[in-house]
Amino acid sequence: MAARPESEDIAMDDAPTSHQPEVKDDTMVDDEGEDVDENEDDEEEEEEETQRVKLLPGSTETAASFEFANEGHTLGNALRYVIMRNPDVEFCAYAIPHPSEAKMNVRIQTFEGTTAIEALEKGLRDIQELCDVVTDKFVAAAADFAQKKAVTA
Amino acid sequence: MDYDPMAMDDAESLGPVVKISQADSVRVKFELQNADISFANSLRRVMLAEIPTIAIDLVEIESNSSVLADEFIAHRLGLIPLNAEGVENLLYSRDCDCEEYCEHCSVRLTLHAKCTGYENMSVSARDLVPVGDRMNQNLGTPVITDKDGTGPLILKLRPDQEIKLECIAKKGIAKEHAKWAPSAAIGFEYDPHNKLRHLDLWYETDAKTEWPPSEYAKWEEPPVEGEPFDFDAVPNHFYYNVETAGNLPPDGIVAEGIKVIQQKLAGLIHELTEGEGEGGYDGPRSPEYHSGPDTNYGYSTSYGGNGGNQSAWGGGGGTTPFGGQTSYGGGGWS
Repeated sequence: MAARPESEDIAMDDAPTSHQPEVKDDTMVDDEGEDVDENEDDEEEEEEETQRVKLLPGSTETAASFEFANEGHTLGNALRYVIMRNPDVEFCAYAIPHPSEAKMNVRIQTFEGTTAIEALEKGLRDIQELCDVVTDKFVAAAADFAQKKAVTA
Repeated sequence: MDYDPMAMDDAESLGPVVKISQADSVRVKFELQNADISFANSLRRVMLAEIPTIAIDLVEIESNSSVLADEFIAHRLGLIPLNAEGVENLLYSRDCDCEEYCEHCSVRLTLHAKCTGYENMSVSARDLVPVGDRMNQNLGTPVITDKDGTGPLILKLRPDQEIKLECIAKKGIAKEHAKWAPSAAIGFEYDPHNKLRHLDLWYETDAKTEWPPSEYAKWEEPPVEGEPFDFDAVPNHFYYNVETAGNLPPDGIVAEGIKVIQQKLAGLIHELTEGEGEGGYDGPRSPEYHSGPDTNYGYSTSYGGNGGNQSAWGGGGGTTPFGGQTSYGGGGWS
């Protein structure tokens, strides 16, 4: 690096970012190092997209707040209702803190004996079960309707 | 007073019931009973905005001597319903390994028309020709249901005018753009007699005579004159009217809607249980572990123990801030 032709260094001097012409080579090394860091950050952000729930700070075992990325009233309200139906849950509520951020927060407080995370998981599984039942009922009703139609036709 | 919080004294303990009152190729009308309004609304919202379909997303115009601007035509093409049969096997373009688009994540359609006669010529969806390999013979084909068999009109050409273009249809959901909406409309109604007083009906002299009764009014008991208001009553019967835009069959929209909710839940459960498997939950975590003054908000408290990667920014990296919510004007497309 130190063996660079003088002319190149002078050209670099014109660049407004260089405040210390004496240690130019060092700053260049630093810049390169920063570049590497930035690349790492980019990769991390890509990975982060896959994480859709996180625990918000200040949460304890039985009283926790969760942040859901890319969720809204569709999941929030149904989840709130179904978690609140769990007799081990003392309190559950959801909020969308800002309408232009695709985030949804859920607060769960449970009685002793279970944790907020267990309550959340149970809530999710309960809605899944409900979905299964409604699918079955709908399919059965559709088949029934088709049969009746065929009989009358 | 005996109060047992476990007592399931409401109708919900009976389990949900579905009744279909009308079903054909365009719409399905059904009633959902013994479910909560929150779930009923989730189903409505998901059918409206989150079912994947296919729509034209990219248009390459080779020549356009019509009176309409390129972007105007491109917009019209985007709104043409395309058959979404088998769209679940199509990848989202953003998840595909290809550079921009390929047969795994898109369907190509071409349009080439020239008016050679002496009268103006109509160019309609029928003239869009799918080309190249497809998942199946129907995916991406324009939906044509009118009796002339032409489909929606795209533009008109005067003698000697020509239009030549290539379209790339991609998979997407209506949350991002309404052109991906599978349903033309979703009717959603409960409590036709307004017994719960969720509605405040406008009237000149008498709301009862001025407002026409809902078609579901005869399905439910009318209110008795002088009956006291029931403060414990909750809506329990929900009437849906799912009308398809033609890309999916109406009962398919309902089935897909539930499937989308299921996938959403499955993804979240997977994420929660996976975190436990790694010992993330039992291991160091908030708040005890991260209660120091240098706690980074949104940085370190994630559930799965891989939260070190988090930054407070870019949480919604995959979405546009404008497309993320459907709370406003959710029924705005027509």
